[in-house]
Amino acid sequence: MGGIAVTKVRPIHGAWCHFLLTLRLNLRSRQALVYGYAVPVLFLLGFGGVFRGETPLLANEMGQLLTITILGGACFGMPTALVAERERGVWRRYRLLPVTMPVLMAGTLAARLAIIGSAVALQLVLARLLFGTPPPAQPVFASIAFLAVTAAFLGLGLLIAALADDVPAVQALGQCVFLPMILIGGVGVPLAILPAWAQHAASFMPGRYAVELLQQGYRPSLDPGNLRFAFLALAVIGVAAATLGVRLFRWDSGRHVGHTGLVAVAVALSAWIAVGCTAMATGRSAPLRSSETNYAQLSDVEIGTIRYDDLPGDNELATRLAPPFSHSPSGRVAALAAWLKTWPGAATGEPVEDTRHLLGVAAIADVGADVNEAEIARVVYDELQARYDRGQLTKILAWIILHPDDGTTVTIAPELELRRGAPPEEVIRERSVLYAKKFLGRQVGRITAP
Amino acid sequence: MPDTPATVLVRDLVKSYGNVRALRGVDFEVRPAEIFGLLGRNGAGKTTTLECVLGLRRPDSGSIRIGDVDARAQPERAKAMVGAQLQGATLQDRITPRQALRFFASFHGTESRSSELIERFGITACADVAFTTLSGGQRQRLFLALAFVHDPAVVVLDEPTSGLDPQIRRELRSLIAERRATGVTVLLSTHDLSEAEQLCDRVGILHDGRLVVTGSPEELIRRSARTPRLRVETRDPLDLSAVARMPGVAHCGSEGGTTRVDASDLNHVIAALGEHLTATANVLIDLRIDRPSLEDAFVDLTGGQWEGSR
Repeated sequence: MGGIAVTKVRPIHGAWCHFLLTLRLNLRSRQALVYGYAVPVLFLLGFGGVFRGETPLLANEMGQLLTITILGGACFGMPTALVAERERGVWRRYRLLPVTMPVLMAGTLAARLAIIGSAVALQLVLARLLFGTPPPAQPVFASIAFLAVTAAFLGLGLLIAALADDVPAVQALGQCVFLPMILIGGVGVPLAILPAWAQHAASFMPGRYAVELLQQGYRPSLDPGNLRFAFLALAVIGVAAATLGVRLFRWDSGRHVGHTGLVAVAVALSAWIAVGCTAMATGRSAPLRSSETNYAQLSDVEIGTIRYDDLPGDNELATRLAPPFSHSPSGRVAALAAWLKTWPGAATGEPVEDTRHLLGVAAIADVGADVNEAEIARVVYDELQARYDRGQLTKILAWIILHPDDGTTVTIAPELELRRGAPPEEVIRERSVLYAKKFLGRQVGRITAP
Repeated sequence: MPDTPATVLVRDLVKSYGNVRALRGVDFEVRPAEIFGLLGRNGAGKTTTLECVLGLRRPDSGSIRIGDVDARAQPERAKAMVGAQLQGATLQDRITPRQALRFFASFHGTESRSSELIERFGITACADVAFTTLSGGQRQRLFLALAFVHDPAVVVLDEPTSGLDPQIRRELRSLIAERRATGVTVLLSTHDLSEAEQLCDRVGILHDGRLVVTGSPEELIRRSARTPRLRVETRDPLDLSAVARMPGVAHCGSEGGTTRVDASDLNHVIAALGEHLTATANVLIDLRIDRPSLEDAFVDLTGGQWEGSR
């Protein structure tokens, strides 16, 4: 046997060149440009046209919008390109390269990440220019969330590419993933306006967690508990799909996965089921009954039906309310006011829920006869006014008054040093509604006291 | 240019697809700087053999060594030594030949060779146009150039001139021969027996998943049972019974105005034929000698007809 000099292989340099080549070829494809950029812009315009009940526009829907863009790029764009190349024989040629499949796949996935990232950036800029939607309040977290969501969906895309024999099959499999998430997964239709069964079903789908994470980037504070679960859910679903996708990857269009494909689908779905069951077992799939969309649609006529003649006075035994502070509060009240701004109980991202929980704080202090009960109620009112503009706060308070049994409330708030008792929920809800009326009356000029 | 001898050694290669046994123990060796051709009908196992050598298919058993590397145990290392052109492999529609060469070279750090390859393989005029606009010949030149992009010691070519017009086939053959002259070892499969005869130093005939014979085209032809055939055209028809009695004549017959003579000894037949023509005052108009070809050898060795001759 003759000895032969083995050529030195440069896998990382090659993968980098593959990344650049994929980007260049993508930019030369009219079809890729339409699906990669024009369609996301159309979705942006569609969302901007439909969700018009809030200020600023789309601030609460960007999570959904970006999820759709990522889902489209990762579960349609990437596998379509991959399978089309495999069908043509491009990957058969790639296979002659002296590197393993993950090296080549790295270039493909990195290029898709860049393509999706640029589409998302385009949406953010256009949303700002066209609708005044602010950029994410937490850009670092938003970037991490984007990477996590894209990675999970690219994992699904890999599995779709492995299972699909041709491009039409990619479309069919992609729709099987896309449509349920759009319709009942909290991605296309906001989760809060879905029926309870659909909200439970959504907790089995990665779209829900993607929206949660991406929307968190737009909120002033983060909810670590929910975020951890959302990251974990996406990791479980994404890693399961990616592992199967890599194992079943085919270089040649002539090879088929056969029955192994069904087993792979079953294994991948078991990750979804595990996530959903955990969400249900831990109460994370509890339906959100109040909805931003619903409160935003309240009319002036509906708000005008609310009566204020049953309210106790501000200095009476129940629902006491201090007059506006003539100077900044100090001591415990000041600390509590500062605390409220970052209190996780009022940072769920749902304005109605957050408001109901803040009202609950005033109600707990009131029921517990806290020495600062009147001041605490005033602090809560000030916090609400600071958070929401007059129009939005009016509708939120009116919604809570008109739907006293909706959503959740708090009955204890030890982290705010409101330690006294754990009164029955119905009492807290009743007092919360009374405070809501006192605040709303001031908002709409039906109560003249300051 | 590789300066170390290169050899491919394949031993007892077995590969099945379900119940179909594609390869039933294939053995061959490609010597340094030679062109070795695998011949066989469709389904004989040529492409499967090449794909196993290239690491594209996992054989059920057997061994493949390229140089000192066990290609089954270290496929990536083996691929680094081999350049290849495959049937059914293609490129993206919008990639240009220059980009393709630079991309594939990037895994070996040999991007700087792309311009030289573009010139050597005659694709300068189309180096910067989209792949989809290239003609069949230009594409095949590009694929050949891609096979040489990292200056490999061994090149595997699957039907490199298939479907091309005669002029381009000739050009590609000379490109392959030119590369062999620089020390590259070439393993190729071909359907074209005349191409194999002209291009290959040695050939192996695959039949039903087995390599039934290997040797130089001349050796295989010599092994053929066929004899040279003379086609003799004369002014007056020849007397077949007289021809049949001539020394060195194995068989004779007539086709139209031409007499067909199968010669076991060509020298004796020609000499006797000359004497006979003189003696009978006949005039020779034309004489052609058809020597046995590789196709004849293939038919004899496999007991069947070559598809290309149908």
